[in-house]
Amino acid sequence: MKTVSLGANRPSAVKFRMPTRDNLVPIRVDVEVDGQRYRDAFTWNPSDPDSEIISFAKRTAKDLKLPANFVPQMLHSIQGQLAEFRSYEGEEMQIREKIVPLKIDLRINNTVIRDQFLWDIGNLDSDPEEFARTLCDDLNITDPEVGPAIAVSIREQLYEIASQSVSAMREARVSKKGRRAPEFASNSKAMHNSLDLFKYFGSKGSVVRKRKEWYLYEPVVDVARKEEVGAIDATEELSSRNA
Amino acid sequence: MSTPSTPTPAATANSILPPPQQPSAGAPFSQPPSTAGTVKTEGPLPTSTTASAATVAAAAAAASAVVAEELSCTITVPSYSAWFSYDAIHETERRLMPEFFEGEAAAASGSRGPDAYKYYRDNLVRSFRARPGRRLTLTEARRGLVGDVGSVRRVFDFLEEWGLINYGASPSGAKQGRDKREEAAASQSSLPVGATMPRKLCTGCRTVCGLAYFSCEKADISLCARCYVRANYRPGLTATDFKRIEITEDAKSGWTDKETLHLLEAVLHYGEDWKKVSEHVGSRSEKDCIARFTRLPFGEQFMGLKEDKMQFEIDDDFNDESGSQISKRLRLTPLADASNPIMAQIAFLSAIVGSDVAAAAGQAAISAQSQVDVNGVSINYSINNIKEEESCTNELSVNDLLKEASRNAKVQLENERKDIEQSLSDIVGVQVPTL
Repeated sequence: MKTVSLGANRPSAVKFRMPTRDNLVPIRVDVEVDGQRYRDAFTWNPSDPDSEIISFAKRTAKDLKLPANFVPQMLHSIQGQLAEFRSYEGEEMQIREKIVPLKIDLRINNTVIRDQFLWDIGNLDSDPEEFARTLCDDLNITDPEVGPAIAVSIREQLYEIASQSVSAMREARVSKKGRRAPEFASNSKAMHNSLDLFKYFGSKGSVVRKRKEWYLYEPVVDVARKEEVGAIDATEELSSRNA
Repeated sequence: MSTPSTPTPAATANSILPPPQQPSAGAPFSQPPSTAGTVKTEGPLPTSTTASAATVAAAAAAASAVVAEELSCTITVPSYSAWFSYDAIHETERRLMPEFFEGEAAAASGSRGPDAYKYYRDNLVRSFRARPGRRLTLTEARRGLVGDVGSVRRVFDFLEEWGLINYGASPSGAKQGRDKREEAAASQSSLPVGATMPRKLCTGCRTVCGLAYFSCEKADISLCARCYVRANYRPGLTATDFKRIEITEDAKSGWTDKETLHLLEAVLHYGEDWKKVSEHVGSRSEKDCIARFTRLPFGEQFMGLKEDKMQFEIDDDFNDESGSQISKRLRLTPLADASNPIMAQIAFLSAIVGSDVAAAAGQAAISAQSQVDVNGVSINYSINNIKEEESCTNELSVNDLLKEASRNAKVQLENERKDIEQSLSDIVGVQVPTL
């Protein structure tokens, strides 16, 4: 077990990357052509050559029997997200041990899953894929599509946090504050929802969670019935169209 | 069984099964035993699938029959992939998928490394074997796998190539559906493309057409010889709608109207003297002129004359040449039935080389065979008379034989009956006195 040395909570600047062991980008695609809608979420390895993107898009369209005019939009969407990821790549970001709560609130086919847990974004060896696999195994989730969806959701949240860290660094540089300022800036900005480690791991705290808080951190898995699924789908469609 | 996977002499690269060609190329990996494969069975075998497995063995050259069993039905695995086992990772896999086994990935767990590979592989094979008749698509598979889609795709392609996934599973409906969609899509795109690109792409199998291709005026579809012979086109078309077009410099250097006019004049004046014709035309060599001339819409009428100049060995029996060209196209249709592989091959070859070469070859073959065997089979179908004659004599002798055989059978039946009657009466004779 890793010992927490409270004093050494100094941020170190690292080249931007996903704060996970594998530098994989979460991609979400939502394309609509002629009344047909294609929504998908998957993980992409940014070191794969770009020629792979077009063949992937074509293959997906062929497998799903989508008309060929889906492919350019899919391609555009995927390339855009990858380009955005790459635009962060040269930059630096602050990495230090920081525990943030991540939330899962997904509905995949018939399965509804809600969960919240704590994640250390300073741990560059963390693995959302392994977490997702273990979660599905432990909760006996039969639908194989749930795992990838969870992994993508976790990655998206981690990506968001990492990119915020990069922009915070940028802003700090731009505003030309002193060397100490970045720490305060990042403290006060988006990371305000991180845990106060002193409270939990200090001398008076305990690692074991209080019983009355257990219910907050329990995963909830529901298998919705067909009719419910249809109703939920319809309401989601309406809200996303109006949005 | 569905996928037409007969390895062919022509190098069309659109094969779903490259491994059958690997052994002939001397691959260092697992050498598949050629015909009789080892059969590993665990449990009851439904006979229908073993029969189909036998036809698969007959059809595909290097693959042979049946191995593992899942869910009380028989899954066919080609013999060059017999090393596969859920429990272990084979040397072949380590060699062909180094990204999971080499360098820093070797020690990794989770998304990289041998564990990840095993996770992807086992899941893919299991999903396919749950519904073995149906083709597993990459999208369907990767949606159920946690990991980046690039790695999943590579494992998927590897397994498909080695027949551990989707082996013989693509139903013909899906394949035709794909062909139709590709044709529809390609016919929209191939028109502008065909004009600019010098290489012709077949609309059926999306490979580069070789020496000649068949184009259909009705539907603006171009097929390579293989697709044409295999009748790989829409149901609304017939073989007669297609015309054979040679791929020569005519695509690269366009003949202007002026040049064509000169060409025609020259031919009218000088007839078959292509030297003078090419002089008259100017900037075109003899071969160009001849090629261009035969490709003109009415060029076929002069085909017979043209052949004298081409250095083929032509017998004087070839009188009705132009007529035979058209009738040959018609007669190509019955031979396009791929159920007779020899005939399909011959039809394919003759489509490639052209009617004249095929006719000459057939004539040579016949004359050689007629010396050896009087009742030799006629391959050359532009010689109508000889073919009909020979088929008649064949039929006569066959009928005679049949009659002989039936007579013999009848005689034997009679004898048997007499024997039985005799022995019955003997038995009765013995039994009655004892009563």
